[in-house]
Amino acid sequence: MKLDLIKRNLKKELNSWWIISLVGAVVILLPILFIFFTIFQEPNENWLHIRQYLLKNYVTNTILLVVLTGIFTAFLGVSLAWLIAAYDFPLRKFFRWGLLLPLSIPTFIAAYTYRTMLGYTGIIQSTLRNQYDYQINSELLSISGIRGAIFIFTMFLFPYVYMITRAFLESQSTSYIENARLLGRKPIAIFFKIVLPLARPAIVGGTVLVIFEVLGDYGVTSLLGIHTISTAIFQTWFGMYDVNSAMRLAAWLMVIIMGVFLLEKLLRQRRRYHISNKSRPLVPVKLKGIKGIGAFIYCGLVFLISFLIPFIQLIAWAKMTFNKVWDLSFITLIYQTVYLAVIATIIILIFSVIVANVCRSHSSFSFVISKIITSGYSIPGPIIAIGVLAIFISLDKWLAPFYKSIGLGEAPLILSLSLIMLVIGYFIRFMATGFNAIEVGFEKIGTKYTEASRMLGLGITKTFFKVEFPLIKGALISGFIITFVEICKELPLALLLRPFNFETLATKTYQYAHDEQIYEASISSLLIIGISILSVVLIQLLGKKVK
Amino acid sequence: MKLPKLFKPFLVSAALAIGLAGCGATNQNESTEEKASAPENQEVNIYTARHYDADEAIYKKFTEETGIKVNVVKGEAEELIERLKREGESTQADLFITVDGGVLANAKKNDIFQPVSSETIDENVPENLRDADNNWIGMATRARIIAYSKERVSPEELSTYEDLTNEKWKGRLLVRSSTSLYNQSLLASFIELDGEDQAQTWAQGIVNNFARQPDGGDRDQAKAIAAGIGDIAIMNTYYVGLLANSEDAEEVKVAESIGVFFPNQETNGTHVNISGIGLTKHSKNKENATKLIEYITSVDAQEFLSANNYEFPVNPNAKKPELLDSWGEFKMQDLNFDTLGEHNKKAIEIFNKTGWK
Repeated sequence: MKLDLIKRNLKKELNSWWIISLVGAVVILLPILFIFFTIFQEPNENWLHIRQYLLKNYVTNTILLVVLTGIFTAFLGVSLAWLIAAYDFPLRKFFRWGLLLPLSIPTFIAAYTYRTMLGYTGIIQSTLRNQYDYQINSELLSISGIRGAIFIFTMFLFPYVYMITRAFLESQSTSYIENARLLGRKPIAIFFKIVLPLARPAIVGGTVLVIFEVLGDYGVTSLLGIHTISTAIFQTWFGMYDVNSAMRLAAWLMVIIMGVFLLEKLLRQRRRYHISNKSRPLVPVKLKGIKGIGAFIYCGLVFLISFLIPFIQLIAWAKMTFNKVWDLSFITLIYQTVYLAVIATIIILIFSVIVANVCRSHSSFSFVISKIITSGYSIPGPIIAIGVLAIFISLDKWLAPFYKSIGLGEAPLILSLSLIMLVIGYFIRFMATGFNAIEVGFEKIGTKYTEASRMLGLGITKTFFKVEFPLIKGALISGFIITFVEICKELPLALLLRPFNFETLATKTYQYAHDEQIYEASISSLLIIGISILSVVLIQLLGKKVK
Repeated sequence: MKLPKLFKPFLVSAALAIGLAGCGATNQNESTEEKASAPENQEVNIYTARHYDADEAIYKKFTEETGIKVNVVKGEAEELIERLKREGESTQADLFITVDGGVLANAKKNDIFQPVSSETIDENVPENLRDADNNWIGMATRARIIAYSKERVSPEELSTYEDLTNEKWKGRLLVRSSTSLYNQSLLASFIELDGEDQAQTWAQGIVNNFARQPDGGDRDQAKAIAAGIGDIAIMNTYYVGLLANSEDAEEVKVAESIGVFFPNQETNGTHVNISGIGLTKHSKNKENATKLIEYITSVDAQEFLSANNYEFPVNPNAKKPELLDSWGEFKMQDLNFDTLGEHNKKAIEIFNKTGWK
């Protein structure tokens, strides 16, 4: 009987969508398993040293950083999303997309920029000193330690929460909010009783992205002098020359993250989130007088700090170093950056759609797959890079007889010297950004339409293109933007997995920033920001046209 | 006709994958074609952890003079070593370049190098700036010096690294985090010269004299002197050069307000940080690679590097730029670089024990 049941289930579930999900999961799983299995190796004396002197401090710092950044980004992101989705006030339309812009600034550049700006030679202190002969206490303005890191992460990562939550509120919460308004609920009650519980998957999805980003970060934390698990990984590898202990630390980091996930999933398992009403856009209520101005000032302040100020500062620096740094090779850099990011993003989105669609069945198997697919985001880039590198070099060695037979010479490295390796690296690292956005999209539409379509005789593939695709277009767009921008900014993978003579804007920025030459790094930083903004604008225009 | 429908999305992604592989393959074909058209593989492939425009300019000049194409992968030193190890015999890389003697020693220990033999190189680079077995050749050095406030400190007060642990510097000393390779190599050199216990006492003494918890890079320490947070700092000459030549007038002012002091001149010499080039064990273009090392260590290239990247040349015949020249000659630590690699781990352990963040 039981066997029959399994067979029946298999028959029900098994289709090409499943197979592709599995293939994707395997591609991601291989390098991750490679890292994971270091846990079972015999620990060496470095590991004992790490455990004795570092682990406690590092874990405490990491938890502090993650929890506080998580709370602040969720607060900022959700409050802004709610304001913009539900109310109308001066410049609302501008803020609606303007508040996405902070994502275009890589966090390590933001940290460098704020640090230098507020530092001794920065504009504030030097103006005070030279114009007013006043030397302010440098320490007072200093962005360092955990405080500084939380500030930077919050201000430059909150758009993840904002974007996903806003998209959700704008299209899916209308009937509930309108009913509550009609029934005379106060805005604050609506927010806590309706918006927060309803938008929970979106809020969690966004905050999880932020947490991943923080966990994997090396640039900001090392600059600001905070020891986290991620900096410990580097310290072990680059300082103690012990790549195995480094991977071991990364593996433990993964275990912790998986635990957090499981907990979150358990907590929300019994609730159902999709809303089956017709999705109608929420009509914003006009805020009058002081309230409108208040909303404007709030959004304006956030925009100023998280984008405009650093942006203008970078422009000033770029002007200063333009003659020294700029040459035509930047055109190639732009082309290579965009080309690579577009290819990788498209692949990620295709897989995200397939896997997210498959995972709607809510079986435990699909849960496992979805966790595997997104686990890359939580592992520091360089560790993924080593996993990918190891797999690709073995693959090349394995394929050597084949290469030889088609005349490529003795034991050459073909795959591991091509861009494919880097694209796969991106695929592993950024599946989560695409997948989370699209998962939210699917959760929004529920299963009603799909079930109807399937009952009426359309296959799973046709159903997708005819019924679901138009419904999740919004999610696809936000998934594309986030992933594309992420890849443009990405550094550690590009650094290690690129082929000969291949540079991107991010690696160029790093070249200077790494050497404490933040002024020289400004041009390539600005180009990254420019490309990101352009992608947002283009996609928005495209979205409008399609509508 | 059910089957094809079922497999449509699968086909789409398969097509995409093949397309991408095709892209990669055509790229590869292009480069092999290039290889074929050039006589005798006129190229040399480099993995480098030095990301400087000056280096790029030197490769370009080399190509112009010799017709040998230089291909570069830039990355972090340890990652590139790991990559070389994994690639093994198949590697395309001919040269590995990085900053820091400890890292070079570690690369050597990982058996990714082979000895370089060239009379020109032996002439260009003095023996103490090469690996004992010629596994790598020095290409530039930076000295880890004491920077002091010209206003509040007179150079007569300064003498040695050891003296920095003296009570008189309490609350006045600045230095960056122990995660910096520069500090790790510095402490590793003390472990070699004075023994582990002495080195730990030294690190503890430095921590006790901190003007503040380590914050920022080397440049930030100089700025902190100017801001009056501390009076002296352990830092690299290279960053003094960068500050002095900055596009920002404020940074130039900072550089002008600090003096450079070479410690331990009466004793065992100032610690230098060395950049080096190694020939990879499985190099496919050994001859070209050797030519490039010869070129980089030549007087012309050395002078160019020193003038543009504010590092000390390794070739004794190369002239230094004005700023570096103004600091005068100095005696450097005399030690086998292999020992830096050996002690690096111990150095980190000491940093962690003494609470040097």
